[in-house]
Amino acid sequence: MKKYAMVVDSSVCIDCKGCMVSCKVQNNVPKGYWRNWIKQTKPDFSLGKLTRTHFQPGGCMQCDVPTCVTACPSGATFKDRETGIVHVNEPLCIGCGNCVRACPYGARFRHPEKRVPDKCDFCFSAGRLARGIPPACVDTCPTKARVFGDLNDPDSEVSRLLRDKPTVRVTSKNIDTQPNLYYITTTEPADWVGDVEYPQAYSVMASLVSPLVKVAVGLSALGVAGMWAKQAFAPDPPDPGDDEHGPEAKHSEPTASKQD
Amino acid sequence: MDETTKTLSRRNFLRASAAAMTAAAGVPALKGLVSTGHAAAPAPQAGSITDHFTACDMCFNRCGMIARVQNGRVVKLDPNPKFLKSRGMLCARGNAATAHIYDPDRLKHPLLRKGARGEGKWQRITWDQALDHTAEQFERIAEKYTRCGVMFSPGSDMQSQFLIRFAEVFGSYNITSHETLCLLSNHRAYLDTFGETPYADVLYTKYIIVAGANPYEAIITPDTIDLMEARKNGCKMVVLDPRYTKTAAMADEWHPIRPHTDMAFFLALAHVIIHEELYDREFAANMLFGLDELSAHVRKYTPEWAATETGIPAEDIRRIAREIAAAAPTAMIYPGRRTSDYEDSSQIRRSMAIVNALLANWDRPGGVLASREVGVRAPYFDIPWYDDNPDDRIDHGMAPGLIHHEGSFKLMRDAIIKGEPYPIRGWFTFKTNFMQTAANRNKTIEMLDHLDFIVNADIAMTDTAWYSDLLLPSPSFLERDDPVSALQGSSACACAIWRDAVVPAMYESRDIRWICTELSKRLGFPETFDFSIDQYREWQLASIPEAAQAIKEDGVYYNPSKVYGIYFDVPLKTQAQKIELYNQRYANMGLDPMPTYKPPRQEQGKLRLVVGRTAFFTHSNTNNALLIEFEEENTLWIHPKTATRMGFRDEERVFVTSGVARVELALKFFEGIEKDTVYMATGFGALSPGQRLVHNRGASIAEVLEDHVDYISGNMAMHETFVTVSRKVG
Repeated sequence: MKKYAMVVDSSVCIDCKGCMVSCKVQNNVPKGYWRNWIKQTKPDFSLGKLTRTHFQPGGCMQCDVPTCVTACPSGATFKDRETGIVHVNEPLCIGCGNCVRACPYGARFRHPEKRVPDKCDFCFSAGRLARGIPPACVDTCPTKARVFGDLNDPDSEVSRLLRDKPTVRVTSKNIDTQPNLYYITTTEPADWVGDVEYPQAYSVMASLVSPLVKVAVGLSALGVAGMWAKQAFAPDPPDPGDDEHGPEAKHSEPTASKQD
Repeated sequence: MDETTKTLSRRNFLRASAAAMTAAAGVPALKGLVSTGHAAAPAPQAGSITDHFTACDMCFNRCGMIARVQNGRVVKLDPNPKFLKSRGMLCARGNAATAHIYDPDRLKHPLLRKGARGEGKWQRITWDQALDHTAEQFERIAEKYTRCGVMFSPGSDMQSQFLIRFAEVFGSYNITSHETLCLLSNHRAYLDTFGETPYADVLYTKYIIVAGANPYEAIITPDTIDLMEARKNGCKMVVLDPRYTKTAAMADEWHPIRPHTDMAFFLALAHVIIHEELYDREFAANMLFGLDELSAHVRKYTPEWAATETGIPAEDIRRIAREIAAAAPTAMIYPGRRTSDYEDSSQIRRSMAIVNALLANWDRPGGVLASREVGVRAPYFDIPWYDDNPDDRIDHGMAPGLIHHEGSFKLMRDAIIKGEPYPIRGWFTFKTNFMQTAANRNKTIEMLDHLDFIVNADIAMTDTAWYSDLLLPSPSFLERDDPVSALQGSSACACAIWRDAVVPAMYESRDIRWICTELSKRLGFPETFDFSIDQYREWQLASIPEAAQAIKEDGVYYNPSKVYGIYFDVPLKTQAQKIELYNQRYANMGLDPMPTYKPPRQEQGKLRLVVGRTAFFTHSNTNNALLIEFEEENTLWIHPKTATRMGFRDEERVFVTSGVARVELALKFFEGIEKDTVYMATGFGALSPGQRLVHNRGASIAEVLEDHVDYISGNMAMHETFVTVSRKVG
């Protein structure tokens, strides 16, 4: 059993956009959408010669408390126990868009043609991991800001980094999603993560119903019809992930937390 | 062509890449990565993928690449982890090469112009017709105006050597490419100081001053990556730039220096280092020529004086001089690349080279390095003598420090318009787009009016193609077999590569080797191109036959040649056989033998325009669906205080007027630019509708820039244009 994670040294990111293009090509991400991003701080020019900008690469955090999975009524979105990767099983998706709203990172978008959510899966479905090649963003990075590997393997680079270096995680204010994307030492900006938003009706049900039942619901005739109708006609959810900077900060405080 | 494609078996590749990743990154290879997993996990893509080593062509760096091919199509480009020059990385542009090769705007067939130039009326013709027509035109021009009546621009491609071979055997001395719009003033300065053009050993340096360069955006491999690695190891980086670039944004110190005052800063550094005796006396005694003269020369260039010129406080200048001298010899002034800035760029870069000399960093770790031995030979060919040819190239003698095999595009263009000293009537351009890169586009168009015949080989309808008479469609770099290319990656490597076609040539495209071969048959010198690509590579690798196997297996051959101390017991290739702080040749030619500061021009009510590029755009070939998403058009960066004083709003569209053109741009208010300076990025405002993503989007630097020239090297001077910004009326 693996637990894939990414450890990022954002202090060496030069904002070259290599990771974003590499991901886009590898995963056929449509124009106007991105599975990953580079955020940046606003320079304070009153600092004169010491003015700096900090760039911060990111993407789906493959959370241990995946709010997108909780929000999904059909079981289409799930966390793979064998890898720790959060996937979308597209045939099960009813296109409701709840997962997109439930992700505080804006790491999901509704695919404009497929009408299902799209997100980073560490290039699993692109076949890179099966071929022994790191995810596209990791492989291409000039300064090797992004490091990928298996936290269950004590000899992996990510395990070693977590042992040797202090790290922080960026998470939502209202729910600690326990992300599997770690930043070495510290990172900025940290104020962009939104609140997790669950739809009222689902928030109660989704937390009670077992995953098996959810799958059954998704596969029911009603579910299939609903899926078709919603995928075809549902309006896009207010999609925070459709520009390169991801979501606007909604209303939360910086919540970068020290990792022990 | 397809038969020669070398494909790694998947198993071999996995072994190679896993081993390479382990070696390159010092981490355990990913092993047995993914189990069957969750029953519903998406299955990896079907269809077998083959992997092919190649080298990128989206800029000049030639970073090592692996092309992943599925069902006959290049589906992904990844870095070659065994490629030391590029440190196993691929930038945004390299990743976007898939959109470059499958660009719907590609030229597909030979096209002959029908209407007026630039009118866009074309007739599809066959290759035979195209080649016959070209040969006829070249013969006609040679007959009437001599063979030097045809100008050649062979580009900076791995196949450019074939067009140079063709030009020389055809008999024209008039060969020029983009270099005189780029780095020749820097070459001039270092040739006239060290006798060589240097490589910066960024990886091992402990203190670096970056001036007139932006390595985190204008990516140079391995320098860009090494600059980050060096800083992890404690290297301090000081950036001087009127603009807050991404390099400035990550610097330990950023000084928004007034444009065209860099020489004042470096003369003041020399002043402090010499007069506080912070230099290595033994190195000076053995290696430096003219220290006494320099000492007297820089006496007046105090930090206090430089502060008034540069806007950088005197105490900072003095402190930086002391810090960098303390870090010497593992310290450097970064030489940079595009130095086509000012009318005295050669002398500005000389002042930087001189400080490097005072830091005693020549030929030493962390300093500026000499060229290493790679071992790739240039195959011999006979150059015939043509009695009626003129004595020299058209721009001969027009600048005292012209580099003979490059000349100066700017000076050649002026000479062609004048028709003096002799006429040029034909032009063969390959993968060079002067219409987008050479300052004063209207003058380039004027030059075209003096030409009878323009033939252009490229993969797309660039602006230069748009104004040509005959278009020859080229394959992209992934569709052809290229000869060996020697590369030096600073201290990282001296290496040799070649490219084999990854996919077959698309449409009717033909590479320049084939074109030269076919033309040579028609023009009576078929023996010049009577070789196969394999034969040619063998000639190139005659002294390193082991290289061929390495290139086949790893995509690259490394020559373990000497890195440091190359000149330990060899005199330098300068007149004094030492590092020339004082250049005797300059003195003989009536030039300042040591850089003498002249204050920058100012023009009342005008702003100085500077140009540059981003990490995700090239100068003139970015008509790329993937890259255009990051910046859909260029803007004019202006300081908010300057703009509001002039009554402008942020994002307002304005007219930007220089002495040669008026263009329209949207303003971008940005505090990170010097108050009397404005900036625009390269790559936009294409005239050609065949560059649909940048056609009429933003503005072209080539249109608005005036064509000033570095008076020593003949390099274009692109930061000497002053513009007025005015409200768009109507």
